[in-house]
Amino acid sequence: MLALKNLDSGYKPLQILWDIELFLEKGEWLAILGSNGAGKSTLLKTVAGLLKPFQGEIWYERQEIGSLPVYERVKLGIALVPEGRRLFTGMTVRENLMMGAYRQNGNLRNTEQLEKVFDLFPHLTGRQKQVVGTLSGGEQQMCAIGRALMSRPKLLLIDELSLGLAPVVVEKIMETLVTIQKEGVTLVVVEQDVYTALVYADRGYVLQEGRIVKSGQAAQPLSDPDIQKGYLGGIVRGHPSAIHQ
Amino acid sequence: MQISRLNRGDGLRRAIFGLLCAGAALFLIFGPFFLSAYWLRILTQTFMFAVLAQAINIIAGYAGYPAFGNVVFFGLGAYATGVLVVKFNATFILSMMVGIGICLFFTLIFGLPVLRLRGHYFAIATLGLNEATKALTDNLTALTGGGMGLSLPLIPGDVETNSRFFYYMFLGTMALCLLVTHFLMRSRFGYAIRSIRSNERSAEGMGINTTRYKVLAWMVSAGFTSIAGSLYAYWMSHIEPAIVFDMAIAIKAFVMFLLGGAGTLLGPILGAFILETVSTFAWSHLLNYHLATLGVIIIIIVIFMPRGVVFFLQERFFLSSLVKKIREERTV
Amino acid sequence: MLFLQVLVNGLLSGGLYASVAIGFSVIWGVMNLINLAHGSMVILGAYITYYLNASTGIDPFLTIPVSGAVLFVFGYLVQKYLIGHVIEASVLMMLILTFGLDMFLMNMNLRMFTADIRSITPVYAGLGIQLGSLRIPYTRLGVFFFALTLTLALYLFMKHTKLGNAIKATSFDSDAAGLVGVNVRQVYALTFGIGSCLAGMAGSLISVMYSFSPIHGAGFAMKSFVVVLLGGLGSIPGAIAGGLILGLAENLASVFLEASYKDFISFVLLVAILVIRPRGIFGKQFYADLKA
Repeated sequence: MLALKNLDSGYKPLQILWDIELFLEKGEWLAILGSNGAGKSTLLKTVAGLLKPFQGEIWYERQEIGSLPVYERVKLGIALVPEGRRLFTGMTVRENLMMGAYRQNGNLRNTEQLEKVFDLFPHLTGRQKQVVGTLSGGEQQMCAIGRALMSRPKLLLIDELSLGLAPVVVEKIMETLVTIQKEGVTLVVVEQDVYTALVYADRGYVLQEGRIVKSGQAAQPLSDPDIQKGYLGGIVRGHPSAIHQ
Repeated sequence: MQISRLNRGDGLRRAIFGLLCAGAALFLIFGPFFLSAYWLRILTQTFMFAVLAQAINIIAGYAGYPAFGNVVFFGLGAYATGVLVVKFNATFILSMMVGIGICLFFTLIFGLPVLRLRGHYFAIATLGLNEATKALTDNLTALTGGGMGLSLPLIPGDVETNSRFFYYMFLGTMALCLLVTHFLMRSRFGYAIRSIRSNERSAEGMGINTTRYKVLAWMVSAGFTSIAGSLYAYWMSHIEPAIVFDMAIAIKAFVMFLLGGAGTLLGPILGAFILETVSTFAWSHLLNYHLATLGVIIIIIVIFMPRGVVFFLQERFFLSSLVKKIREERTV
Repeated sequence: MLFLQVLVNGLLSGGLYASVAIGFSVIWGVMNLINLAHGSMVILGAYITYYLNASTGIDPFLTIPVSGAVLFVFGYLVQKYLIGHVIEASVLMMLILTFGLDMFLMNMNLRMFTADIRSITPVYAGLGIQLGSLRIPYTRLGVFFFALTLTLALYLFMKHTKLGNAIKATSFDSDAAGLVGVNVRQVYALTFGIGSCLAGMAGSLISVMYSFSPIHGAGFAMKSFVVVLLGGLGSIPGAIAGGLILGLAENLASVFLEASYKDFISFVLLVAILVIRPRGIFGKQFYADLKA
């Protein structure tokens, strides 16, 4: 569904990503890992269209989209939940969600999708009329994901999901993402918390200094003792609900 | 700063640059001996604007506080000279000193509240200060002659000597301003000022008394602008609030400063020369479209050289070394 | 009763100032762009009304849609093909850009319309409502009415239309707006167009109340600054509040001080507001502050 070939990207004139090769099947859950500054956000931003690639190709459903502007990519079904959430701070939860459906025409579909989002995140229903600036971190994250879902994406990109959130909240949101994946949405999640990312994902890529240094099935790194020592702080004894079969 | 690290390597380029500067300096110093009165007057005006632009550079370019209304000091200097010479028979030098004094006082009184503001807010506040001062000067007719203005006594001597006198006075002021800026920016003061521009909170966190440095920077800026104002009053022999507090002067100087390159030493000077040249050309050949031409030139420069001429030239001529430096830093 | 007259005059002037300022406020609040060409756009609108009135005798108020339309197209094109192409320029450079635009416009206005001072005297010029010793000319009343209507229309537009919401969202976070499918460049072009349109329409209103020439534009731009800062950036009710306060302050000042101190007052007010409460009465924080 998504394939990146020889991708170079960054913030002109600073190059962050070097020769990225990546692929993603429809319906998969991909985890992108790496330490700070490795280029994870840059990668997602480039796929979403906020950054223009210096070089290389972005193939999405048999179409090369590297030169398409952001709003066109939304039309194609790509939605990004950006780092820091980037909600419309002066607007209410409901208004933010409705803005998410901007690309759609007509109102009927809007309310349908809105109901769906409230089903997924019941916590938001009560806070509809609240200005988003007053929500807690977890609620904001839910709102941001909800907003992205309003455009009925086929490919959902989430940047730094767990940043600043309590583990309980993160787990809750992850479970919701499992449900979303079941409905056919392809997911790419960028995460600093390696364990959580790998537990839920199907496959993963590791970025280091702008290059891909490791890739493979998610379960693999979890049982790889080097990774366990390097990133997970010691041998991991079994893992809980890595289930989404 | 990264830019100066670049220059170190390019020996030949530096030599050429040095030669150009020397040549320009010689040309300007000996100008009055072969240039016509018309060109002398234009250059004199250019020097004046260069001082104004460089003064703005200190507070806006280096310290990061865009003082749109800096022309208020020009007006204050002009009126200090005007009023003291006409009403109190003071000497020119004394009047200039008093003018500087008034401006320093003004900076202190208004600087403290107004320098607490950032960016746009500060800019508009200085704008307001200028307009308020202009309006006040207009109304204090008994002292300042109000809207009709003030006429200073003409200086004895023939036209040629006088024009040379003012040519060198303004050239000298410009050179002094350049030197002072150069040494100030290399000093501790300069580092403090530049740190304020980069990240004021961090600067404060490091123990820099940002308020003190901001006010001082504005004082230096005000001082030089005041000198220019005093000289102007003497040169033109007639001043009015509408002229010496004119926002057009403020904006022109600001444009020169930005066009040349904010935060660079020679930028404002370059900006002044370029804009004055274009302005003069437009005035003499395209009188009816003089403003429009100026407007178009400004628009073009912003589109193609959004960081100013100096940066544009640096990127052009030092591009290869710039790219090399970035590549080197990337792999480290 | 003199006091009441001064109060009424202040409110009427205030309504006009508000309408002059909203276009300026919208552009600044949404795009973080201070449009220094605003003054000349207002004057252009005034001239359009003047010529329509002079050549066809049509009532100046009826020309408002025309000046609005002309300025809208002008503003839209300028943003789309000129301003929109400047990348990596600082906010200050953009200011210089609009200043250059203003110079160009002013020159064009001078060439097209000459520097002669114009004014319009509609048929009902001297007439007005008389309430005891209170006198309200029809012209001023009409201007006030239209000013409020324009402001209200803009407010409703921003709140209830899809485009209005898109503009609002873009002003909060332009990247996020792109991510929900908003064509940000188009929104900017439309916003600038709307701001210019409002300037033009305000110009029509001005032509009825004041005499004008190409050089009067700068004064209106200055007043817009004061109004926006008083009422708060990005707030339409704020523009009304700011306009009214300015109008009242100026008129009240002219009672106690000489009329010539009018300008002095507005600028003292400006500086005072900035020092005491830069946010203005209703304003959200400056976009620039948030970014920095």
